[in-house]
Amino acid sequence: MNASPITSWEGAEAYFTFADNPTAMAIILGLSVVVTVGAVIATIIHENETYIDYR
Amino acid sequence: MEQTAPTLAELQTLIEMTGTINMEVFYWWCTGLMVIIHAGFLAYEMGASRLKNALASGVKNILAFAFIVPTFFFFGWWIYLAMYNGFTPDFEAAVAGLPWSTSMGPNLTDNATGIFWGAFVLFAATTASIFSGAVIERIRMSSFLILAIVLGSGVWILGASWGWHPDGWLTKEWGFHDFGAAGCVHMIAGFFALGVTINLGARIGRFAPDGTPILIKGHSMPMTIIGLMLIIVGFFGFLGGCIIYAGGAQWTTIFGTPVTLSAVSFNTLMAFSGGIIGAYFITRQPFWMMSGGLAGIVSAAPGLDIYYPPLAFLLGITGGVVAPLADKIITDKFKIDDAVGAFAVHGVSGMIGLIALGIFSGFPNVVAGAPDISFSGQLMSAGVMALLGFVPGFGLSYVMAKVGFLRVPPKAEIAGLDLVEVPLEAYPESVPATETPIRTSTVTA
Repeated sequence: MNASPITSWEGAEAYFTFADNPTAMAIILGLSVVVTVGAVIATIIHENETYIDYR
Repeated sequence: MEQTAPTLAELQTLIEMTGTINMEVFYWWCTGLMVIIHAGFLAYEMGASRLKNALASGVKNILAFAFIVPTFFFFGWWIYLAMYNGFTPDFEAAVAGLPWSTSMGPNLTDNATGIFWGAFVLFAATTASIFSGAVIERIRMSSFLILAIVLGSGVWILGASWGWHPDGWLTKEWGFHDFGAAGCVHMIAGFFALGVTINLGARIGRFAPDGTPILIKGHSMPMTIIGLMLIIVGFFGFLGGCIIYAGGAQWTTIFGTPVTLSAVSFNTLMAFSGGIIGAYFITRQPFWMMSGGLAGIVSAAPGLDIYYPPLAFLLGITGGVVAPLADKIITDKFKIDDAVGAFAVHGVSGMIGLIALGIFSGFPNVVAGAPDISFSGQLMSAGVMALLGFVPGFGLSYVMAKVGFLRVPPKAEIAGLDLVEVPLEAYPESVPATETPIRTSTVTA
C-alpha cells in the first residue's frame, strides 16, 4: 500500500501518511473516534458485569 | 577546496531556522516536564486512596490522560482556535485545528502547531487530573471518563479561548490578564470538581449520622506528599508553556505583553515558598504544606510575570492559609467530600489569584482596543471562569446521578474498587489495610 503523499523530500509540506488521500484520512479518523467511544462503552459494560455481585 | 562566505540570505535562513528549532526544543521539554505533573497526580491520588482503592484510583488517573489526548485532537484544539469570541465560532480561523487539517500532522512548513498542541494537551490533562482527585473511591470509571473528557477537551479549552488567547473576548472587552492560567485551568477544574462532588455525594463513612466529618486516611501519606512535590516540578514546565517563544525577540505572555523567564523564576519560587509557610502556619502537617505550596503558586499565577517577588510571596502565604481553611469549610459546613481538597487548592486559590491581580493592577494591555488590567475586569472574569467550570460539572453530573450512572453500588464501594474492578493487587505480600476512622476534620489547627 502506498501511503506516502510525496515522491521526493524536495519541497515537501504535509507529508504524513495519506495526507493527499481524504478518503483514507476519513476512514482512519473515523476508526479512531469509534475506538475511543467504543472504549468508553466497553468500560460501562465491564463495570455492569463486575457490579453484578455487589448490587 | 575554496570556501565561500555565506551570503546574507543564507545567514538569515540559518538564524530563522535556529530560532524555529529552539522554539520547538523549548516547548518539547516544557511538555515533557508537564508529564511529570501526571506522575505526581498519579502518586498523589493512589496515596490518598485507601489500600482497597489504590489501583482503581491509579487506573482512573491514567485513563483520564489517555482519553484526553485523542479527544483533544478530535475537537479540543478546534474549540480553542474557534471560540475566542464567546459562543460564536470563527470557522475560518479554526480551519487549522480541524483533525484533517494539513497542520494536524507532520508538516515541514509548520513547526509550531504540533508542539503547541502538545503543550495544550498537557494543560488539558492537568485539568482532568485536578478533577480526578476530588472524586476518588466512589465514582464510576465510565462516568468519570465522560466527565473528564468534557472538562479536559471541552470546558477548560473554551475558557482558554475566552481568556487565554491573544484575541480572547475577556481580554479584549475587560482587559483580563492571567499569565499562569489560574482561571482557565485551575478555577475551571476546581469549580467543575465542586459541581460534580455535590451530586456524587460523600464516600461511605466520611460523615457520621450527625454530620460530623470523619477523616478517611489514605494508605500512603508519603506517596501523596512526594506526588505533590512532583506536581510542583512539573509546574515549571507548565509555566514555561505559558510563555510565547517568538524567536529573535523578547518572550511574551499569551496576551502579547513582554515577559522574561527571570520574572517567572523570581515569583514562582517566592509564591511556592509562601504557600508552604502559610499552610504550615495553619495546619502543621506536610500534606497541606505541599498542597499549600501549590495553592501559593496558583494564588500568584495570574501575575507571575509582573509581581514584585515579595508580593508573590505574600500572595503565596495567603493561598497557603486560605486553601486548608476553605477545604475545612466545605467539609464541615457544607458536608462536601472533596477527597484531596481540589476545589480549595485550585478553585479558591485560582480565584484569589485573579482578584489579587485586579487589586495590584493598572498595567497596560497590548491587544488592540483592550483596556488596562483592572479590578473590575479581573473580578468579572473570575466570575465567568467559576460559572464556566461549575455549571457543566454540576449539570452533567446531576443528570448522571438521576439516571444512576454516576456512582458505584454501595456494596462495591465497601468491598473496595480494586477487588471489584482491577485484576491486580497493590501490595499482595502485605497485610490488608484496616479501616480505623478517626473523628476529626481534615485540618488540624
